[in-house]
Amino acid sequence: MSDANINFFKADLRSMEFTLYEHLGAQELFEHEYYEHMSREDCDQVMQQTLRLCNEVLGPINSSGDRQGCTLKDGVVTTPDGYKEAWKQLWELGLPNFSVSLEAGGFQGPMAVLGMLSELQMGANISFTMYSGLTYGAMELIEHFGTDDDKARFIEGMTSGRYGGTMCLSEPHAGSDVGAITTTATHIDGNSYLIKGSKCWISGGDHDLAENIIHLLLARVEGAPEGTQGISLFIVPRDVINEDGSSGENNNVITASLEHKLGINSSATAVLNFGDDGDCVGYLCGSEENVGMKQMFKMMNGARLSVGLQGHSVAATAYLNALAYARDRKQGASVKAFKDPNAPRVSIIEHSDVRRMLLEMKSKIDGMRAIAGKMALHLDWVNVLRDKDPDQAAYHQGQVDLLTPIVKAYCSDQGFRVCETAIQVYGGAGYVKDNPVEQYLRDSKIFSIYEGTNHIQALDLVVRKLRGRKGQDLADFSGDLTDFVEANSQDPAIGAETQLLGEASERLQTAGAAIVGYMMEGKLDQLTLYATPFMQAMSHVAVCHLLLEAALVAEGARTQDFDQSQEEFDFYAGKVMSGKFYANFIMPEVFSLCRAICSADRSAIDIPDNGFCTQW
Amino acid sequence: MKILVTAKRVPDPETTIKVNADGTGIEEAGIKWVVNPFDEIAIEEALRIKEAQGEAEVVIVSVGSADCQEQLRTGLAMGADRAILVSADNPDPTAVSRILEKIVEQESPDLVIMGKQAIDDDSNEVGQMLAQRLGWPQATFISELELAGGGGSATCVREIDGGLETLSFPLPAVITADLRLNEPRYASLPGIMKARKKPMEEIDASSLGIELGRSVTIVSVQPPPERAAGRVVESVDELIAALQGEAKVL
Repeated sequence: MSDANINFFKADLRSMEFTLYEHLGAQELFEHEYYEHMSREDCDQVMQQTLRLCNEVLGPINSSGDRQGCTLKDGVVTTPDGYKEAWKQLWELGLPNFSVSLEAGGFQGPMAVLGMLSELQMGANISFTMYSGLTYGAMELIEHFGTDDDKARFIEGMTSGRYGGTMCLSEPHAGSDVGAITTTATHIDGNSYLIKGSKCWISGGDHDLAENIIHLLLARVEGAPEGTQGISLFIVPRDVINEDGSSGENNNVITASLEHKLGINSSATAVLNFGDDGDCVGYLCGSEENVGMKQMFKMMNGARLSVGLQGHSVAATAYLNALAYARDRKQGASVKAFKDPNAPRVSIIEHSDVRRMLLEMKSKIDGMRAIAGKMALHLDWVNVLRDKDPDQAAYHQGQVDLLTPIVKAYCSDQGFRVCETAIQVYGGAGYVKDNPVEQYLRDSKIFSIYEGTNHIQALDLVVRKLRGRKGQDLADFSGDLTDFVEANSQDPAIGAETQLLGEASERLQTAGAAIVGYMMEGKLDQLTLYATPFMQAMSHVAVCHLLLEAALVAEGARTQDFDQSQEEFDFYAGKVMSGKFYANFIMPEVFSLCRAICSADRSAIDIPDNGFCTQW
Repeated sequence: MKILVTAKRVPDPETTIKVNADGTGIEEAGIKWVVNPFDEIAIEEALRIKEAQGEAEVVIVSVGSADCQEQLRTGLAMGADRAILVSADNPDPTAVSRILEKIVEQESPDLVIMGKQAIDDDSNEVGQMLAQRLGWPQATFISELELAGGGGSATCVREIDGGLETLSFPLPAVITADLRLNEPRYASLPGIMKARKKPMEEIDASSLGIELGRSVTIVSVQPPPERAAGRVVESVDELIAALQGEAKVL
């Protein structure tokens, strides 16, 4: 097979514009002080330039990077060919700083637009975007919690591409159970500590794109309380940073190994040893010990939104590739000509079942884009309203909190399934490496695992988020939904589907009451058993609501503008069908999920271990 | 040094073009518009000269509807210093060359760099006509440019049939860019944000005191003939017969 760098990436800018502006109305943000230094035209230009970077630079090194992978030799990690050049171009363009605050030297663009820019970059090359994404996340932590001194030392390097960044949480025995970490920090003086311990699964843990790597690391100060209450956040540069800002010798941070993975092969996943054979100096982030988990939690909404976007983005390019293949590939005759052995062969897009798969993928992608976009927009409104209207800001923050686990888990689960369906559309051609969809599938599996497994998301939803602001967040969510159902149940285009959504929403409330019941009765094993199905049901309802809302917008545009081209008319028709299909074919899973929750079935808990299989 | 560059608003080369219902032009609804790719190369070249010289002003001009602002903003985002939008209703190449002549008189640039042609109508006329009107030297289809004598003269390599031709001439002059002159840069995020604050002057073409009427009338526009489907032949002999008899290429 040829190693030529082929760009398989495909993007649907028209759909992205529709969700962002026609459906969600993000343009309103630019009328408010926090975002008024920008305009939609600026953002359109940035989108165009980003798309060009994706097609010319990031896309062409996606499959070659997957094949080549990262290597560790003599303690040095090397990224695949072309990654260094791409890194340089990315930072010259300034893209990683799109939503960084003006104060920190960024452009303070809306998160909702950043979501679309991310969709492009992640779809073009998910592994590559890990390096810049983690740098952004680590920089944000320092910006929010660091002292002025921390900011002066680290932020410039992390917003110019000179430094990479990571999040060092997991340890060999502490993954989902973060409280179990054993890395220690011993106070030297000021905010300096000696760090000692081993961290694993560190994305971008080491690489050759930047001159230095800044690790944001969780460790336990000697004598700190047990569990998550005794964890502190440290800034640990790989190489000592000299007085003049240049990078000096190694700070005793050693890359012990790189993982060999199913996917995201050009993203280096490292085991890092800190302070193994010498002094490794870290700096407390901020000025308070034992608040590391709180600090991490504050930043988690953004990171989890990002993972949701990863699932969505890879799925979106997988869908568009499958669609192109379905239009091109000829196989079989039309079912209408089944009696005629000489009937002409047709493109497989003409077969009903292929159309079903394509529309299933499309509606899920429209839904993922809408729910991730909606969450990002809530974040933007929090920024806009924070000082002006605290009540409204609290409403938006509540919806961010509530949607965080849903966006992360829904998009990562469904994104993977869309990739699987994309392979099914290709048939055997999708199973081989000549086509891009097998890589999309492999790359996508990690999204439901890292940044809090999807079960952790479900627990976050049922244990914490449903009770957010004493239940007000959930009440707001349900209120928005009920208003929509009441207003549109008789709509000629989507009335029937809206009624179905209303029924599903009632079932969801019954299931929610059952979950609360298990919690009140202290039946924690059942609470945790039903958490995942509940989250899935709630996700379907939330996504279906957004898709029907989008369908209404599209139906309006389709029937009111008489000058539009046939293409535009068809585009809007596609959005209407996407909503109807989701409501009728996919969303009804809510009914079976809720039925299972209300059944109080305990089989999965009560089955004896040997009942799974007696051959241990 | 002052350099004047042009930016024509044209359909994105990736867009599917359809002829309009009465066959007089193309269907414009739903089209994405970009800077003519050859003009982008011209802008890039001007910016490189500016960077090499340290001090130079790059002024970017577009002629057409108010929507051309979008393309001027792209040029400003790439790094041009200011923009001039001359509003004119559907001007033909002759009218555009007259308009540009006036703009050159106002601006007195040392160099005009344009795309060799626009990818929409492929006229390939404006640069040549402008040089003639100004009485300036011209070098078209250039793939290399070198300034000498402190910007007083230029040497260009131009792509001609069967080879390359090297020309030297004094400035001011008009040059038109071919594909291989350079690879245009991306408009960076800082560039895009700065472009908002750069001046954009709007001039109504009718205020320039020149003849704007079209000297060329478009009679009809037709799509290229659709390619017929291929067919599978049974043998090499049949293929050769078809190539000789039907395609008449052997």
